[in-house]
Amino acid sequence: MSRWLDGNFVSVVDGVAFGLLLFTIAVGLSLVFGMMDVLNLAHGTLYLAGAYVAYALSDGTVTGLLLALLAGVLVGTAGGAALTFLTQPLAHRGHLDQAVLTLGITFIVADLLAAAFGGDVLPTDPPTALRGTVGLLGHSYPVYRLVFIAVAAGLALLVYLVFERSSLGALVRATVADRDMVRALGVDIRKVLYGVFAAGAALATAGGVLGAPILGPGPGVDETVLVLSLVVVVVGGLGSVRGALAGALLIGQVQTLGVALLPEYAPFLLFGTMLLVLVVRPQGLVAPAVRA
Amino acid sequence: MAGRIRPVGLVAASTALLLATACGGASLGTGEDERSGPVKIGLLVPRSGTYKALGDDMKQGFELYVARHGGKLGGREVEIVVADEGETADSGKAAAEKLVKQDRVIAVSGVVSSATINGVKDLFETGKVPLVGSNASPTTLTGTEYIWRTSYVNDEPGKALGTYVAERAGGPVFLIAAGYQAGKDEVEGFKSTFLPAGGKVAGREVYTPFPGTKNFQPYLAQIEKSGARAVFCFYAGGAAVDFVKQYRDFGLADKIPLYAPGFLTEGGVLKGQGDAADGILTALNYSADLDNAANKEFAPAYTAAYGSAPTTYAMASWDAAQVLDKAVKAAGSTVTSESVNKAIAQVGDIDSPRGTWRFNGGGTPVQPWYLREVKQGANTVSSELVRLGG
Repeated sequence: MSRWLDGNFVSVVDGVAFGLLLFTIAVGLSLVFGMMDVLNLAHGTLYLAGAYVAYALSDGTVTGLLLALLAGVLVGTAGGAALTFLTQPLAHRGHLDQAVLTLGITFIVADLLAAAFGGDVLPTDPPTALRGTVGLLGHSYPVYRLVFIAVAAGLALLVYLVFERSSLGALVRATVADRDMVRALGVDIRKVLYGVFAAGAALATAGGVLGAPILGPGPGVDETVLVLSLVVVVVGGLGSVRGALAGALLIGQVQTLGVALLPEYAPFLLFGTMLLVLVVRPQGLVAPAVRA
Repeated sequence: MAGRIRPVGLVAASTALLLATACGGASLGTGEDERSGPVKIGLLVPRSGTYKALGDDMKQGFELYVARHGGKLGGREVEIVVADEGETADSGKAAAEKLVKQDRVIAVSGVVSSATINGVKDLFETGKVPLVGSNASPTTLTGTEYIWRTSYVNDEPGKALGTYVAERAGGPVFLIAAGYQAGKDEVEGFKSTFLPAGGKVAGREVYTPFPGTKNFQPYLAQIEKSGARAVFCFYAGGAAVDFVKQYRDFGLADKIPLYAPGFLTEGGVLKGQGDAADGILTALNYSADLDNAANKEFAPAYTAAYGSAPTTYAMASWDAAQVLDKAVKAAGSTVTSESVNKAIAQVGDIDSPRGTWRFNGGGTPVQPWYLREVKQGANTVSSELVRLGG
């Protein structure tokens, strides 16, 4: 057992890092779709935009990273608001129309980003202070990924507290459960919608800023991220923070520990896991909290 | 209406939409036949998608040659028709058909991906239009009459390194490559010279899912566990950047030397890798710092025109233009697809920035291969490894 742990410990830790990265990205997709019923296929693009912000603003200092984080959150908030505005008219026309619209937006934005930043992959280095490796049970592990685990875990806790434990979260869930009742209480439903969308988008761009040293910006990253997020949302269950977390951590381990143990099955592990979960628990690991 | 959410339907629809995006690319041309006017040459390179950076290099290399020869090839004015290869065999095929059937070019150059070149093989063979390819060259592409490659066959960089690594490694070598045809070709090529020279493989060779592998940590853990004394890997493009950076990030760069076909550190990826690439040893048919007369013309002119050192992709496209230059000239007064193709077969020695080379019977170069090391963000040639392609 201890030998097994020794050989795979780094993969387990990295699975947590990767899982938490997937969580910060996917939770927005899950909330917006699960609660607001808007299918946003531009979600991967929000991550990519955040990663480019990190590339543009990172100067090797922690201050640079924090500035990038602030800028990324602003970009995400604006992007989320813009996406709400654009998808609003399609609210009653089903998911396919939303998918087509948001996918079209991804192509336009991806082309604009490629025009601005070129076709090369531009990975971002973490701040100088957070570079290098530390020993974990005799194996080396990048310092930045440990820092990322701490920050993303804090973020996950914050999101959980806001959406599932605060009165603000209660308002959001009430809006989903019974719009008319909430409207009758004098709440502007559109504000809730804009708020959830902007928060989800800001989380994705923040994930892009912090995740850039792990999943750096470049053409095609938006699609990779979107597909991974969709898998996380399906596996975890729609519309709940805990579901997104459970799905993301599971997929994180599948993509690291699973691949380390079964490298020859690597191409099938991701979708194999999704298939398995869909067969055993079609509603996802954590059933949707509020939607009837 | 919005009602119940069905995750399966959602993913199916999303996947279909993502697949649909792979199509498209070529725009409609004029379709006029201009065999009496300027010579029309098609340039089939990615203008969008994952391989755009490679496509840019190839387009620039070709255009630089034409520009430095007064806009002429073989004494004839040239009209270059660019078509977008895109990312897939389908988009590449559509663009190639447009060049051949609508634009009626007399020859085509370019093609980044092996999938595309396999997909368009019949079009050029049956249409009797020469394709002077400047990149894609799968080992399986043989027995063609109209398809030429100024690059190399995909397994040759591996072949060039095998003996050298077997002698240098001092222990088992871990083999890891992107899981698609080119990756398998490279590893097979490497083993074909590595194993006979007494090299030992550490553990089992690994092919990482391509595209899509972004986190290489699990594979790096495998390498560390295997007790390997060196690693031979094949990656290009974004995966090359991710692999090299993570190889350094997880502390392997200082412990286990990394050998690879030159694409790992070629062109734009090297900028992305930064100092993580320092010390990586690669084999390639070209390096921008090669000391020969042709390269002394090519490399500075390229750097002056485009602001970065030329890559093997740009060099192979320069040579493709040079081959066409000679062939069009040799074809004389009757410049047709078939006369140009005949002339290409007899084009002889090419005085290239990579050193002199000529086509072998299979339409690929017999050429020198070099060992290069990354020093301070640039590839530097350290020795000639072998001459391959004969």
